[in-house]
Amino acid sequence: MLTLLSMFYYICLRRRSRSGTRGEALSSRRAVESGQRATLPISVEVEQYAKEVLDFSSHYGSENSMSYTMWNLAGMPNVYPSSGDFTQTAVFRAYGTWWEQCASAPLPFRRTPKAFHSQDYIELAFEEPVYPTAVEVLETYHPGAIVQIMACSLNPFSQNPPTDIRWEVLWAEEPTKVLTPQARQFSPSIKQLSFPTNLIRVEVNSSLLKYYTELDAVVLRGQKDRPILSLYKMPRIDICDLSDSDEDLSDPGHINLGNGYFDKLPYELIQLIVSHLTLPDLCRLTQTCKLLHQHCCDPLQYIQLSLQPYWARLSDTSLGHLQGRCTLLQRLNLSWTGNRGALTLTGFSSFMNACGGSLVCLELSCCHFLSEPCLEVISQTCPGLQELNLSSCDRLHPQAFTHISKLTQLRRLVLYRTKIEQTAMLSILTFCIELRHLNLGSCVMIEDYDVVASMLAVRCRSLRSLDLWRCRNLTERGLAELAAGCRLLEELDLGWCSTLQSSSGCFQHLARNLPCLRKLFLTANRTVCDSDIEELAANCPALQHLDILGTRMVSSSSLRKLLQACPKLLLLDVSFCSQVDARIVQELCGLFPNVAIKKSFTQ
Amino acid sequence: MLSVLSYGRLVARAVLGGLSQTDGRDYSLVTASCGFGKDFRKGILKKGMCYGDDACFIARHRSADVLGVADGVGGWRDYGVDPSQFSATLMRTCERLVKEGRFTPSSPVGILTSGYYELLQNKVPLLGSSTACIVVLDRRSHQLHTCNLGDSGFLVVRGGEVVHRSDEQQHYFNTPFQLSIAPPGAEGVVLSDSPEAADSSSFDVQLGDIILTASDGLFDNMPDYMILQELKKLKSTNYDSIQQTAQSIAKQAHELAYDPNYMSPFAQFACDNGLNVRGGKPDDITVLLSIVAEYTD
Repeated sequence: MLTLLSMFYYICLRRRSRSGTRGEALSSRRAVESGQRATLPISVEVEQYAKEVLDFSSHYGSENSMSYTMWNLAGMPNVYPSSGDFTQTAVFRAYGTWWEQCASAPLPFRRTPKAFHSQDYIELAFEEPVYPTAVEVLETYHPGAIVQIMACSLNPFSQNPPTDIRWEVLWAEEPTKVLTPQARQFSPSIKQLSFPTNLIRVEVNSSLLKYYTELDAVVLRGQKDRPILSLYKMPRIDICDLSDSDEDLSDPGHINLGNGYFDKLPYELIQLIVSHLTLPDLCRLTQTCKLLHQHCCDPLQYIQLSLQPYWARLSDTSLGHLQGRCTLLQRLNLSWTGNRGALTLTGFSSFMNACGGSLVCLELSCCHFLSEPCLEVISQTCPGLQELNLSSCDRLHPQAFTHISKLTQLRRLVLYRTKIEQTAMLSILTFCIELRHLNLGSCVMIEDYDVVASMLAVRCRSLRSLDLWRCRNLTERGLAELAAGCRLLEELDLGWCSTLQSSSGCFQHLARNLPCLRKLFLTANRTVCDSDIEELAANCPALQHLDILGTRMVSSSSLRKLLQACPKLLLLDVSFCSQVDARIVQELCGLFPNVAIKKSFTQ
Repeated sequence: MLSVLSYGRLVARAVLGGLSQTDGRDYSLVTASCGFGKDFRKGILKKGMCYGDDACFIARHRSADVLGVADGVGGWRDYGVDPSQFSATLMRTCERLVKEGRFTPSSPVGILTSGYYELLQNKVPLLGSSTACIVVLDRRSHQLHTCNLGDSGFLVVRGGEVVHRSDEQQHYFNTPFQLSIAPPGAEGVVLSDSPEAADSSSFDVQLGDIILTASDGLFDNMPDYMILQELKKLKSTNYDSIQQTAQSIAKQAHELAYDPNYMSPFAQFACDNGLNVRGGKPDDITVLLSIVAEYTD
């Protein structure tokens, strides 16, 4: 018995040692082949699909759905290598320049750096932190939207997050035109990182695309161990590093050499020169000399301030440094900033108290640091606020929106994908009667849109644009009241509002009552029919954008009438309209070359 | 004092943990599928498992094994709509829901409701209708959760006897409950049942239980005793023997369907209702045969 056991152990040990030496021999051979010393370990390359989608700025699909939503970007690909418009992909809310052409779009901010092109973003967490060697994005429809890929030093799954979070740009480029809408695997050459990462951020710009881009999966390839090649550590420029250093400039030992020609130029001219600098350059210039310090800290340079391009580096300290200069601030863009603790209520309210007095426009898209007290501060410090964008602030408590009703001068309000509730909404509509542009897309917590529509019709008669994308319980009653009350309506997005039935005559009624209509989206309303199109042709000569995706009831004859009657038409989406096939679309494109006729496909 | 409390807590936890589950092993379903389309279209295999206008899926997630069968209502063909598109898309959508974990094992009606909702979120204007039967095995709790809308269904066989079965849901003869998406304007005319109208049931299963999920093409052509006879031949729990048995059941049902003199359960039911008919019922047949076995990775 003992001898059997001892023989058994002997054989096992021999086998293990033999395989061990074999393995070592292999590794040393491989190491020798790659020109390194034999004792170094082999770096294991890990390939991972995204584990979880952490954050994103917008998407086409419904909340709680898995069709055309951002959550499809996690996990294995479902569609690739097929091309086409599939439900299992991640699709952003907009494409092209159509939304920018609308009156409801915000004016661009001055001083936007030329290198900043991003319009939307998505953040993905992977299972294991690696030193990335490649990031591949599987794009399955209209590729070419990706403009920037970034990596974060934070492990989103760690229990004790560090206070110092770094974002590095792995790759960035201008948006370029891609010729075919076919699927492709996009794998740009990325920078080497000095830290391991499992949090990747992809930023997109769809302005050059002919249709919605669709992404299937993201692959992160990397090494678990630090790469051997020495790394050049890129200096991290922080706005808070560029603090005002008044002490240095008032040093009495400093020899004043004069400012050369700058002393001869009038004040206004130097102001004009300096107004062309981007914000980081402006901050750096303040440290050069007293004269330029005076110019660069002049509040007139900070009438418009866009901190969105610097979202990765902005903190409470940065806001604190800028506070002194922003007393005349009128337009402020803090979109995408402040997440993961970078901005807090203290920093934000201190800034708003100092600079909110003249604020007219406040962009706070995807600002997850916002809480109810922040909105209270806004309502108290910005009485003259006319534009407020809270797009995708989905972690904001419903109670926070009640403070918006104190902003009675509001003209533009964006609440896309927020959790605003009916009572707060009605309260806002009661008091903010100057509203011109209202976006309630994907506001799922509002129970009865008919009530909202009738309140709009009564109180907000100067309404020019209304976005009711995916408002599931709007009926013909609400729509009729809206058409009766808001006669100046130019843009109306009723995409995916499934409770509207054309048989009730609501679309014809709409067309007859809104002669100024420029944009009408009836996406996926399966009841849109020929008489609706003919009514639009007869009554809405100013029509520019029309989307009737997915109806079986519209034929080419009514479309022809529409195209002839609406000379300003620029966009017509007839995707998945079964009576309008590719041949008809080609024919219409030939007859009406100024109109972009969109026909999406699944195969 | 504190140590007594912590000790007591440990003991209580151990005892309770022991009581909640007599058997610590996870169960799983070993499933095979087979079927025949009505018009011998079995050669045309669409994505996933489709037999004629029937569709089915087998999926698994971390905590559960899920099966589904959907029978597309053939009447849509007369209106130019392909009946297989609805059932196939419904089953593929439910499969994706399960694979992504967007479901609760104890609520198969939830899978059906979410699946139906996702169909409405598709840009493509889907039309058609189908029955649906979803069976979920919760691996840890050893419970089988089922829901059935329409005349597809399932049988649970233990020790050679049927211990559980689903009930057929019919509005009237040959018109089962169905999930549907109707063309605009026809909503009042087309039968459309809500997923909540499905019958749900939950019960414990044991190792060795056989679960047969099928469309009405099987149950209308083969009475229980014939099915049980075939199932007696199933000796082991490996995939190949289950596949063989599933195939023999489906084949037999397919042959009986075209036998003009055979008194099928369908013909029997018709006679009971005053219609003097005989013979099988040519229909799409889908059979999903599963055995409850121990979970192995």
